[in-house]
Amino acid sequence: MSINLIRSVALGLAVASVAIPASAQDTWPTGPVHVYVGFPAGSSPDTLARIITDPLAQRLGQPIVVENRPGAGGVIGIQQMLAAAGDGHTFGTTINGPMTTAQRMMDDTGYDVSTDILPVTLIATSPLVLAVSSASEITDVAGFIAAAGAEPQAIAYGSVGQGSGAHLTAELFAAEAGVEMLHVPFTSYAEVTTSIMGGEIDAGFMAPSAALPHVQGGNMRMLGITSSEPFPQAPDVPVLAGQAGLPADFRAELWNAFIAPAGTDPAVVERLNTEINDILSDPAVQEQLLAIGWNAAPGTPGDLAERIVVDTAMWGAVIDRVQAQQ
Amino acid sequence: MTTWEGLLYGIGFALQPEVLVYCLLGVVLGTFVGVLPGIGAMAAISLLLPVTYYITPEAALIMLAGVYYGAQYGGAVASILMRLPGTPQSAVTTLDGYPMAQQGRAGVALFAAMASSFAGSVIGIVVLVVLAGWLSRAAVAFGAADYAAMMILGLVAASTIGTARPAKGFAMVVLGLLLGCVGTDVNSGVQRFTFGQTELLDGINLVALAMGLFGVAEVIANVRDPERQSLSERIGLRRLMPTRDDLRRMGWPTLRGSALGAFFGALPGTGSTLSSFLSYAMERRVARQPERFGNGAIEGIAGPEAANNSASITAFVPTLTLGIPGDPIMALMLGALVIHGIQPGPLMLEARPEMFWGLVASFGIGNLILLVLNLPLIGIWVAMLRIPFRWLYPAILVFLCLGVYSVRGLSYDIAAVALIGLAGYLLALARFSPALLLLGFVLGPLIETNLRRALLISRGDPMVFLERPIAAGFVLATAALLLLSLWQAWHRRASRRG
Repeated sequence: MSINLIRSVALGLAVASVAIPASAQDTWPTGPVHVYVGFPAGSSPDTLARIITDPLAQRLGQPIVVENRPGAGGVIGIQQMLAAAGDGHTFGTTINGPMTTAQRMMDDTGYDVSTDILPVTLIATSPLVLAVSSASEITDVAGFIAAAGAEPQAIAYGSVGQGSGAHLTAELFAAEAGVEMLHVPFTSYAEVTTSIMGGEIDAGFMAPSAALPHVQGGNMRMLGITSSEPFPQAPDVPVLAGQAGLPADFRAELWNAFIAPAGTDPAVVERLNTEINDILSDPAVQEQLLAIGWNAAPGTPGDLAERIVVDTAMWGAVIDRVQAQQ
Repeated sequence: MTTWEGLLYGIGFALQPEVLVYCLLGVVLGTFVGVLPGIGAMAAISLLLPVTYYITPEAALIMLAGVYYGAQYGGAVASILMRLPGTPQSAVTTLDGYPMAQQGRAGVALFAAMASSFAGSVIGIVVLVVLAGWLSRAAVAFGAADYAAMMILGLVAASTIGTARPAKGFAMVVLGLLLGCVGTDVNSGVQRFTFGQTELLDGINLVALAMGLFGVAEVIANVRDPERQSLSERIGLRRLMPTRDDLRRMGWPTLRGSALGAFFGALPGTGSTLSSFLSYAMERRVARQPERFGNGAIEGIAGPEAANNSASITAFVPTLTLGIPGDPIMALMLGALVIHGIQPGPLMLEARPEMFWGLVASFGIGNLILLVLNLPLIGIWVAMLRIPFRWLYPAILVFLCLGVYSVRGLSYDIAAVALIGLAGYLLALARFSPALLLLGFVLGPLIETNLRRALLISRGDPMVFLERPIAAGFVLATAALLLLSLWQAWHRRASRRG
């Protein structure tokens, strides 16, 4: 931590010494910056936010207060960010759900992603791994699809809730593989893990950080991963795309992004994007993110805007199919 | 490393001055957040989390764990003195603790709570060391059907505590079950009784409900009733020490409560609230004079307090042996380890034995500190009742609001606690038991989710509740309990007629 701190301070000084063009960002920030996080302290999205905000505070020369407003799958965090907006010092980090699928799962989120929120930058992405118990006879994806295809609902899988990334990814997988699986919703990966280990359910799409310790402990096996590249934390797990009849472009990733309320000074958005991209290029930061299961994914505000549109359409189609089945 | 080597090593580790200081810090902070109504271990651990970045992971875990089990000690204090449970777990302690305080025996009640808390923790530690492997296998073996059957037994067993009128008790349990339905249904994703309010999507905030029903309602009752205000002045420092009879009555309930708590604590997700309710129900059932319960029976403090402390120790079993956190606070503590680059999981024990044994040893040392700290404090806590109510109650309301706000940082929950408090006052006027409402609220969602999950997994076959041995055992026990109650009711009526 202290080496990071020193490095951040050094970087901060270096950045500060470079002449910054005279404009609004000359004076901004004039006070503490607030970053809203829709998950509780100590959770993975919270840890991720703090990995970014610690060096960001050094670079901005103002303290950053992480405001945890957990609830409704991250939607409350965005609502609270928007309610507090207006001072030019209020921002948020969010996972993909509240930006892409929440509108379909809830009557009214109280915000419109396209008009109320300005994308700043993608921070990181996380694939999911398809995991089964080590006692299972299934050893690869082909075997899994064959078992699932034997009869409808032959395989029961766990997720972290209706409409969660784990649920929708499994349904996307099922649709592409042409099988029908039984969805058993839980509320946390801890519960899903226990249920798989107890032999109650057969499988689950899980965050790598949730599955890895149990794979190393000999209780679970990972059959495949939903990203287009192997995941550095689990390089041996094969990519699902192109396997056992799955399309070559099969990809499902969760992501975490930095956002601003609409009306934020474009120069400030630009400054934040540059700083965060710079932070993400630091190998030490990348290492910290990987340790909690996230892959650094810097980009422009435009990249994030595009990702939101593409994912909203992709997951929307999956939700249509799930709702048609019910 | 054998158990003895491990323990010796752990004691040596936990006695290092630096580690000892963090342990002391944790348990002292835990006691205080436990005493303050509404502010719980969760809030304190969230606040401490950034501090843990700068100390060793072992010291961090020992400190955070100290807050966790220390809060169980403090929770009893306000329950007994003012009928304000410091934590939801200690709501049961109000049932007999507060009447004891009203009878001028607050000191004895606090002594009973501290002594049984300590005994419960010690038994919990022994169970953790001796049976950790067995308990972790049990935790994995428990499926949805087993949980559903077990919780139904708990609901049936405890649904008549804290009230003289079974019908009124039943009404409160049902109201609690209904309130538990508010929010997003886990199984279907349907939003129930949320009235379009995002704040209700995850259900009613448990802390807001408990603090409203007990805390705010009690403050209103005291403000309205000058009789009760003068009552508090009668309670003196006299009779701090228990009589021989008190001690005799505490023995078995403490042991039974500890055993119950040790078992339920180890099951992920059930936790100490259920075990303290069950312990109370059990004590009332085995008592020779059940009518003493609710009127200051010391057994009604000793059992539940032993149970929730024992549970707070064995709650570390799934966390430490399987790397699976049993409740959100455990998840938070594991989060603290992740920041240090330690991946919690089944291999953590092998990779870092000093962490496991150091923590276990710190449980013992921490509980000893808590006992030594709390026994002299009893006099000070009791003296707190001498603070004039016009100072005490506004302060309580402030702490209560702080505590409720600390859970999610939403002012919505403060409005909710005020509203719930008003409803709680009206219920108390009509002599309905808020403890039973809380029981229904805690168990209802767990029963529903697990019942429907079990049926989902069995593809709709209800026989799953009889085919799984654990579930079948609980179903049989529930049936036996119902039959016994019916027989007792029939017997009483027959003897009255005869």
